[in-house]
Amino acid sequence: MAVVLSVGTRKGLFLLRPGGGGSGWDVEGPLLPGWSVYHAIVDPRDGVLYAATNNPFYGATVHRSNDLGKNWERAEEIGLPEESGLKLNATWHIEPGRDSELWLGGDPGVLFRSDDGGLTWEVNRSLLEHPTRERWQPGAGGMCCHSIQLVNGTMYIAISAAGAFRSEDGGGNWRPINKDVAADFHAEKYPEVGQCVHKLLAHPAKPERLWQQNHCGVYRSDDRGDNWERLDGNGLPSGFGFGLALDPDDADVAYVVPEESQEYHYTSQGRLGVYRTADGGKSWELAANGLPERAWAAVLREGCTFDDANVYFGTQSGSVWTAPQGVSSWTEAVRDLPPILSVEAAAV
Amino acid sequence: MATVLLPGTLAAEAGGQKRFELDAGTVGEALRQLPVTNLLFDESGELRRLVNVYVDGVDARGGRLLDEPVTEQSEVRVVGAIAGG
Repeated sequence: MAVVLSVGTRKGLFLLRPGGGGSGWDVEGPLLPGWSVYHAIVDPRDGVLYAATNNPFYGATVHRSNDLGKNWERAEEIGLPEESGLKLNATWHIEPGRDSELWLGGDPGVLFRSDDGGLTWEVNRSLLEHPTRERWQPGAGGMCCHSIQLVNGTMYIAISAAGAFRSEDGGGNWRPINKDVAADFHAEKYPEVGQCVHKLLAHPAKPERLWQQNHCGVYRSDDRGDNWERLDGNGLPSGFGFGLALDPDDADVAYVVPEESQEYHYTSQGRLGVYRTADGGKSWELAANGLPERAWAAVLREGCTFDDANVYFGTQSGSVWTAPQGVSSWTEAVRDLPPILSVEAAAV
Repeated sequence: MATVLLPGTLAAEAGGQKRFELDAGTVGEALRQLPVTNLLFDESGELRRLVNVYVDGVDARGGRLLDEPVTEQSEVRVVGAIAGG
């Protein structure tokens, strides 16, 4: 088994594989030229590569490839029912589920399910018709459902800016889980819904533990989102950011990439800095060995990922960085790609 | 048989085919026969806002758009709208 990185960019998809002899990375692409790839993932169940693809002229869709990008099929049916009065603005995140399930998050705050490998997609009615929907607002990136997590039969989703939601019945019902999560831009600072989650992850080995990088801080929950603790006063230069990564072997470890502020979407203090906590967010340390000390980069919400061995992130300036878990030192795997929207790692 | 010409991204989605000879009486009839209809039309069946169609070099949005008549000699060209800098 070898790792392959799926790097979604504004100008297509790139696949990165470790080069021969263990040095450097081989770059394949652009695949799907003409499409902005908001997220791409290799389904660990069958090796099918899926991409959430968007084009300013031809709309939002999903592509799938059975042979890692050599040939592609496009979704046949995807869209919102006419009676909703809504139209699909963008596809954002694809997440394999149980059995044959495949989930897709999109804008405007919608979730789809496919049971035929991504050819047809059925909208999740419970979320589409959620009683709080009228209180949701689009963030700068639209009203995107960007985080989908499935752990031990529980589903979590996060929408910017609607907040985080949990379902115990496979998407039949969605309960807001935003207690004590700030919405500083809102008239009511701690509303039931309307929070601007930038990324939400559940720890794979400790499923009751959730992390979120929010527009208004970094948070951890130890009770599946019923309560949240704000963590960004403990060494982080800013609570604002997008990327988030974890360590599968240690639930107390998390990585974030703080940005200066909501007004200035570049790395905090003019350096490309990843911050790591090893104590559940009680304290954070700069883990930037190997990263440029002067850089005004930006890492988007799908731009960070991890596996058992490594942490990866891609920048809007087209570089992919890798480091072993624990981050002794970062290595630039590739540079000068188009602006990077997403990075995923898979063993194939 | 009207001729329909597709730009690069759509042609790639149509298996690499850029040129289609189609039996159609209107622009709409021609476009709906293409293998990329769900990229040209949204879920409501409306032509996407930034998709322009030219019939023999004339912008069909200035005419009857999907109801614009085409003949066997017509050339229907699909073009993404010019946007940005």
